[in-house]
Amino acid sequence: MDTIYLKNVLPEIFLTKENTGSEIWRQEVCFSKGQTVLLKAVSGAGKSSLCSFIYGCRRDFSGSVCFDGQDILSLKQADWERVRRVSLSIVFQDLRLFPELTAFENVEVKNCLTGFRTDNWIRDCFLQVGLGDKTEEKAGKLSFGQQQRVALIRALCQPFDFILLDEPVSHLDDENNRICSRLLTGEARRQGAGVLVTSIGYEPEMTYDKVFRL
Amino acid sequence: MNLVYKLLRCQLRGTQFAGFFLANLTGMLIVLLSIQLWYDLQPFFTGKDRLFRKEFLVVTKRISAFGTLTGRNTTFTPEELREISEQPFIRKTGNFTSSRFRTTAGMELGRFGAGFATELFFESVPDEYIDVKTEEWGFEEGDNRIPIILPRNYLNLYNFGFAQSRNLPKLSEGTIGLLNLDIRIQGQGKESGFQGKIVGFSDRLNTILVPQRFMDWANATFAGEKGAEVARVIVETDNPADERMARFFKSKGYEIEGGKQAAGEMMWFLNLLTLFVASIGLLICALSFYILILSIYLILQKDRVKIENLLLLGYAPKRIARPYELFVLAVHTGTVVLAWLSIWGIRGCYLPFLQAMQAVKSGMLPVWVGGIVLFSGVFLLNAGIIRRKVRKTALSHKI
Repeated sequence: MDTIYLKNVLPEIFLTKENTGSEIWRQEVCFSKGQTVLLKAVSGAGKSSLCSFIYGCRRDFSGSVCFDGQDILSLKQADWERVRRVSLSIVFQDLRLFPELTAFENVEVKNCLTGFRTDNWIRDCFLQVGLGDKTEEKAGKLSFGQQQRVALIRALCQPFDFILLDEPVSHLDDENNRICSRLLTGEARRQGAGVLVTSIGYEPEMTYDKVFRL
Repeated sequence: MNLVYKLLRCQLRGTQFAGFFLANLTGMLIVLLSIQLWYDLQPFFTGKDRLFRKEFLVVTKRISAFGTLTGRNTTFTPEELREISEQPFIRKTGNFTSSRFRTTAGMELGRFGAGFATELFFESVPDEYIDVKTEEWGFEEGDNRIPIILPRNYLNLYNFGFAQSRNLPKLSEGTIGLLNLDIRIQGQGKESGFQGKIVGFSDRLNTILVPQRFMDWANATFAGEKGAEVARVIVETDNPADERMARFFKSKGYEIEGGKQAAGEMMWFLNLLTLFVASIGLLICALSFYILILSIYLILQKDRVKIENLLLLGYAPKRIARPYELFVLAVHTGTVVLAWLSIWGIRGCYLPFLQAMQAVKSGMLPVWVGGIVLFSGVFLLNAGIIRRKVRKTALSHKI
């Protein structure tokens, strides 16, 4: 997948709003592979909604979202399975980890599906983000900041053309922000992928090609 | 352990699981046991055995008081005979031929210094309808010996009725075979003497039988060409319990002799009972199936968030449904195996009683087949419902 194209996209909940003042909603925007884009907004502006629309979790919007020119509303269940395995990765704002599984198992559950990483690679990542001693801890017992890092490692356990990061470092300190951002940037560059980051003010330390106000 | 299995490990509580398992087992046990019982008992009623020989029925016209007073004819016309033989439930028919000559039979009881003689009658039916197989049965013109078959209840009447009350010696079938009867036949001014010999006793035919060849010859010789009228007909049928037959005979005013339909009625009753019991079994099966479906819905509801997350990670609904399908498969396999074992045990208890009456050759094939059919049907239905439900979870959230 080389482009994600948004045309006149607007969440249904904003349909009554005359002027959103947004650089994304009701606009034509194209995200290209290889670009790093920051979407800044205040709370309630629809950052998570945009990620959900692009990831195919929700369809309550008007306008169209296209992957390489194909409207995502025409994608079948099997197409979405493929897209989520090999083209599009995500870190949800609410992370969507399985609290009953360990931190390592939460990553493994994705890697089992894609077979993209080795166990050593995953363990090395845990060490890099400062969770080397937390791999066997149940995810439900970790702090939100720790869970954010687990979700980030999980998002890297697949090939991707784009990665969506919905406030990925909101609960991290500067040091961990830096480490995670470096990990992300390195992987995105290695895969030549596009990075879409949303933020309400505290964003990953990366070099952004474009910044949009949502 | 596979992480998806670990994640979606069955959340059924012990009591729910036990309730479903027991209900399912009971339902399957009742259905399969009724099939096995029907299969084991069927030979006792279907006529190809020695217990209830029911494929032959003797049909007569009903004799009413009014008919007696008005002298109504109780014989069958050729049209009526043809009508009976043309019925789809009748395989073939044979006519009873009555003797149209005067017959007396006597016996010298030399040791007791006395003798007796009595008038009697003979009847004959084609040999294929006779249930006594003996080489002595036959007659050629010029023979002086007539084989005779008596109804078994005549012997019983003598032994347990007459001889008992009069302190006379009881006679076995073998003893009677040794007796020689002096038979005298008269008609059309002719008279002949024969030696009568009782060669057997019939359970099927309630009359004094002589060979058809003898009867044809004797009627022609002693009664002339006068046409014989048929008062009784023996019919062979595949299924004495056929409802159409009962309706036909009733509508024509015909009677079946001597409760001969009892086995047919028993067969009908057995069928009805089996159907009833099997229906209850099926109903319990359906209810247990319903309980399982509700339980599965409950589990899927409990696991809804996990299922959504797995779908969002890129898992296919088919793969997510597999742990639930395996659970259902294990439960059904357990119930069907337990049901088979139970039936095997129960059958071991009742089989000796049936074997005592007659050899039961049937095996447990219907239960194996029935179990597999029920198991496959219920499992496939369950698996289909699980997949649909998981797919619906994906659709309802537009995942």
